Amino acid sequence: MDQQALIQTLVIPAAQILAVVLVLPLLIAYLQLVERKVLGFMQVRLAPRRVGWHGLLQPIADAVKLLIKEDTVPEKSDRFLFTLAPVVTVIPALAALAVIPFAAEPFRVFGYEVNPFITDINVALLYVLAISSLGIYGVILGGWASNSKYSLLGALRSSAQMISYEVPLGFAIIGVMMLAGSASMVEIVNAQKAAGVWYVLPQILGFFCYFIAAVAETNRVPFDLPEAEAELVAGFHTEYSGMKFALFFLAEYTNMIVVSSIVTILFFGGWLRPFPNVAALAWLENGWLLFVPLVAGGFLGWLADQKLGGGLRLMFAGGIAGAALGVLIARSDVMGLAGLQVPAVSGVFWFSLKVSFFLFMYIWFRGTYPRYRYDQLMALGWKWLIPMSILNVVGTGLVILITG
Amino acid sequence: MAVRPASGFRDLLKMLLLLELWVGLWVTLKNQFRPHITVEYPRERVELSPRFRGVPRLRFHPENGEELCIACHLCETVCPDNCIHIVSEKKPDGKGKRLVSFEINYERCCFCGLCVDPCPTKPLTAIYMSHDYEMADFKREGFVAPLKVLLNGVDPKDYKE
Repeated sequence: MDQQALIQTLVIPAAQILAVVLVLPLLIAYLQLVERKVLGFMQVRLAPRRVGWHGLLQPIADAVKLLIKEDTVPEKSDRFLFTLAPVVTVIPALAALAVIPFAAEPFRVFGYEVNPFITDINVALLYVLAISSLGIYGVILGGWASNSKYSLLGALRSSAQMISYEVPLGFAIIGVMMLAGSASMVEIVNAQKAAGVWYVLPQILGFFCYFIAAVAETNRVPFDLPEAEAELVAGFHTEYSGMKFALFFLAEYTNMIVVSSIVTILFFGGWLRPFPNVAALAWLENGWLLFVPLVAGGFLGWLADQKLGGGLRLMFAGGIAGAALGVLIARSDVMGLAGLQVPAVSGVFWFSLKVSFFLFMYIWFRGTYPRYRYDQLMALGWKWLIPMSILNVVGTGLVILITG
Repeated sequence: MAVRPASGFRDLLKMLLLLELWVGLWVTLKNQFRPHITVEYPRERVELSPRFRGVPRLRFHPENGEELCIACHLCETVCPDNCIHIVSEKKPDGKGKRLVSFEINYERCCFCGLCVDPCPTKPLTAIYMSHDYEMADFKREGFVAPLKVLLNGVDPKDYKE
């Protein structure tokens, strides 16, 4: 094997994996800050704002705290399993990211072709389903090894919940696979481009089932029974502290990002711009020049002081200022930026915008809904989601059969 | 109110479209942009009502700046907690008495305000319920307020971010 091929097949994938694994914790740290901010604002109070400008350094402080905290292991616990559990939880969560395409078109670095995804396999969806259900082992092991009744109860609830919601999760995906005729993530998005419509329209029922089941799979509010803090202290990670707790935490948020990415890819056209086939909107392809300042400005404005009720106004002001900057760049071609029409960047921008929306949905749900009771959870899963997702599969099949 | 089982087309539609869930989402979305109500004490302080009853203090005459208290011992007598301790002496010119020391033990004071009611000085009472409320201390002695503290109060500490 010559050097060229060696780099292409070994070094570049390693670099891609490293990039994802290194960027992810930072993203998650700030996702946590955004979660606390959004929850705070929804409850008409201030969120963290003591560390750094409006709390922007809070995630760093939290990470440092978790890293240097004492790592206690309960005396009566099973030491080996207790240490193994967080690792078993975090590895499948990270592994699921391997098949997520952030954009489609490869870009060139030092003459080598680099794809904006780690790998594209033709059974990506099945792989994600298989891998993400492995995460439950970590939860069960953690709950069992802690030798605490709260942990065990949390773990048992978690396993029952995962088994129930795995079914509608799988069925909801089938409709998309039937329409796209493939289980590869890249192929599914390309099929949406060819069809000229995001699959959320023909598959609205599927999207609905998938998103609810996915929220339940990630153990988030309103399905957070495994860690119901009002009943079970903290559920399966009651006994965990320091770095081991941080790993559970990392796994939970990674799963959220994975689920949001899959929703984006399956139902919202992945890296495609809105209305992918309308030529009049082709300028959206370069839209990141305009929208990145808008989103960043809007975010900073929203973060800034809400004392005078000016949060919304500041958000708009920041957004408009950012948009003006974007238009200026796009029009006057400052530093030749407008010529930078990199499809990968555009794809990553649209992709992350959609993913951020679904992450916001997660937090929004957490700020709004009370927790389900155990029997309600089971009733929703078995009596509503499973029949609905099967109905969706049958309906999609009929439509495909009739229209040929 | 008893929970009514879903009946009729409207209720079914309401249930299937998850109308109540959307309403809930709208409420939290809206509240995100309301001004926050947190007061960042001690950097900010709430505005007190004029009738707010903080720790009892003594005050000076508003015009000539002399002590108002005539050392009649009425507040000491009426105090249910026996937390007021007054030492007085006859004035050198022979008319009335004046304070030698006046102590209130805030460890025992229950902020009932009974000391203010019988105070005979008119129109302002010599002892009054002030607007001071920051009285934490590390030592027990810190809770026994001497005459000087009672008259001048304690300046609240200013905190900057």
